[in-house]
Amino acid sequence: MANAGSPAKSRKSFREITQTRKFQRTAIIIGFTVIPLFLLFLFTYLPFGEMVGFSFFKMKYVGKRTFVGWNNYKSIFRRDDIFSSLILSLYYMAGAVIQIAVALYLATVLSMKVRFGKLFKAVIFFPYLINGIAMGFIFKFFYTHGFVLDTVLSWAGFNIDSLPYWLRDQRINNWALVYASFWRYVGQNMVLFIGAIMSIDPSLYEAAAIDGANKFQQFKYIILPGIQTIVTLNIILSITGSLSAFEGPYVITSGANGTGTYFVVMDRIAHTDQKVGLASAMAVFLLLIIFACTIAQKLIFKYAFRNAQTDDESYAARKQRRKAEKQAAKELKALKKAQKEAR
Amino acid sequence: MNLKKVTAVTLAAATALSLAACGSSSSGTSTAASSAAADTEAASSEAASSEAASSEAATSEASESSDASASGDITWDSVTLGETGTDLNVEIKLLTHRTDMMADDYAGKNWNAYLEEFNKMYPGITVNIEAITDYANDSLLRLQAGGWGDIMMIPAVDKADLPTYFISYGDSDTLGKEVNYINNFVYQGQAYGIPSTANANGIVYNKKVFEEAGITELPKTPDEFIADLQKIKDNTDAIPLYTNYAAGWTMGAWDAYISGTATGDPDYMNYKMIHTANPFAKNADDENTYPYAVYKILYDAVANGLIEDDYTTTDWEGCKGMINNGEIGCMVLGSWAVTQMQGAGPNADDIGYMPFPITVNGKQYASAGPDYNFGISAEVSDDEKLASMIFVKWFTLDSGFSYNEGGLPIAADDTNSPDLYQPFTDAGVEYVADNPAPDDEADLPNEMNSESELAVNAGGNEKVQSIVEHAFNGDEDFDSIMDEWNQKWSDAQDSLGVEIKY
Repeated sequence: MANAGSPAKSRKSFREITQTRKFQRTAIIIGFTVIPLFLLFLFTYLPFGEMVGFSFFKMKYVGKRTFVGWNNYKSIFRRDDIFSSLILSLYYMAGAVIQIAVALYLATVLSMKVRFGKLFKAVIFFPYLINGIAMGFIFKFFYTHGFVLDTVLSWAGFNIDSLPYWLRDQRINNWALVYASFWRYVGQNMVLFIGAIMSIDPSLYEAAAIDGANKFQQFKYIILPGIQTIVTLNIILSITGSLSAFEGPYVITSGANGTGTYFVVMDRIAHTDQKVGLASAMAVFLLLIIFACTIAQKLIFKYAFRNAQTDDESYAARKQRRKAEKQAAKELKALKKAQKEAR
Repeated sequence: MNLKKVTAVTLAAATALSLAACGSSSSGTSTAASSAAADTEAASSEAASSEAASSEAATSEASESSDASASGDITWDSVTLGETGTDLNVEIKLLTHRTDMMADDYAGKNWNAYLEEFNKMYPGITVNIEAITDYANDSLLRLQAGGWGDIMMIPAVDKADLPTYFISYGDSDTLGKEVNYINNFVYQGQAYGIPSTANANGIVYNKKVFEEAGITELPKTPDEFIADLQKIKDNTDAIPLYTNYAAGWTMGAWDAYISGTATGDPDYMNYKMIHTANPFAKNADDENTYPYAVYKILYDAVANGLIEDDYTTTDWEGCKGMINNGEIGCMVLGSWAVTQMQGAGPNADDIGYMPFPITVNGKQYASAGPDYNFGISAEVSDDEKLASMIFVKWFTLDSGFSYNEGGLPIAADDTNSPDLYQPFTDAGVEYVADNPAPDDEADLPNEMNSESELAVNAGGNEKVQSIVEHAFNGDEDFDSIMDEWNQKWSDAQDSLGVEIKY
């Protein structure tokens, strides 16, 4: 009987345990973390791990694999086409800086009271909604000699024969492509900035206005520090985006004529040339570059925004206070000394 | 509860799938196994001393082996059109990529018209046709899923898998005497595909533009060709040679001319080139032949300003109407493009096709190759196989399909080329079909393409585009481009351990 009783008891206690708040909370926490973590592992880290593994092999999608150690990584540095494609990223990075500056300007202006503000926002944001491939076709016709851009410029008084071939001339074709990406993403950056600016307490502007701050000073001392995190985010996204620029050059020029960005070259190596190992190594290398850029950018921001932060004010004040305290202590010492002497 | 259900369903599905996989992979070997069984069975029945149990097994084996031998009998040769299988009463299904031919308003002869003709001879065989838009991908899925029908255009399957999915039309050597261009789907001496039509490589040109430019005779050598392009530039408003640079694949299409067309050698592409030291170098005997000459034509045309103004923004769809209207002199494309150019405007008669301007030892050649091939399913009943074989043979020999579609004749004794090829006939052009790589090096051409990254005839568009860029910008002369390619080719040969024989 005792034997039969004890499992019944333990079963009951197990059910009791499952009904306690503590158990349920733990179960929910585990349930809600394990499933997403499992999915994250399965679809992100596992494939990534596989890819890192591939990068040490000489392999195609099918067929046998040969282990080649670091050779794939070495050839990234030896090959001209890969390195020159990385240099192309500088065009896109320069474009990204201008893009963020313009987006910030537009966001600031449009977050103040502007006539037709909503219309402007919609018009500027609209390109982001267009599919990247469609955008490629639009710009192909836009840049065709004697088509859209040239026609508009000829209205403005330019002679069509003296206009450059936007995509054929290797000195300017990358800028033309960067502009296409600028056109597409500036609206998205702007909307993110507007969202952040909206979250700033409007009473701050009033107070500043009463103190006699003009619009630029309001921007510098209220808006910019207030949206610092979003600025950081946008810069990180833009740098990552410029390193992995793909759709524009792939669709507009198919990466030919010196416009093959890192991703376009990687696509060719992986799919046309079937060098999966080398392409994987390129992907890992790109990830390292992005890490490096992100860290460098964080450090720079820490340095750059140090003076703009409010606690810098107190840093100066603290310095003054310490100086004052030291002075006071000195005086006190001198006073005591004088008292002693007087005694 | 739900979890259990899901698990059960998943397990069931997994088992079913793995079973299906077993079934399909083993069927390739089953014919061999059962014929072996038939041999031993025959021996044992001669001995006539089998026990009840073994005889039971033997009969089942025997019936299986008779199946196998019967299906083995259905070959190209066993079918005599109009005699074999006239009493058949079956329904078969054909998968095709020609969606355009399903339409009643198709400009050529549509599927229904062909089937009507076929049913005059074989009223009992009903052919159902399913046209698939994304054929290359969908057909592969359908093939692996099984139960797709009886005849299909063979998609990109490995040669070793051919016997699993399709029945053999017969010995490739004998069949090769009756049917052209069967090389693509020959495995272990058996032919598994019959080409629906075949194309040759030449140049699409506008006859009127050539006439206006004062060109009376079609060019036969690179120099004549460049001179003719110059005439077009001087005497007409047309663009002499439209490169279609921006589309990419239209540039990669130049690779198709370096083998048979430029050498007259069917072994060049898949064998000799692989084993040649510096295949892109100037040919010692005649620099106006071999790959060097093909790419040089492009370089010279660009360097002399004989192509479109802004090559980076060319438009493939637009070029069809332009050549039709006489705004373009010529384009280097396969013969399949001709019907599209003819249909793109009112001047279909102006579009012509001419041999590529390379002459090897006084003779011009043109690479020719098959379009999609018909394959007959290995998993359908014998009647259906026979009906399919009859249909394919009729379609190849009697339907006139290849001729109607502007293709080269498939039947070996058919000399009736479409009018399109009149300039080829006039110039005495010989058609050259590339031989496949020998069995022990079957993968080598692909390996070389991958290793050298030149991807000849395999999407290597960028290398041909770079010729245009360098020629236009004048920053690299032609010989040093070819030297670079030779270097890449040699490096690949080194790393793959390819023996240099030529």
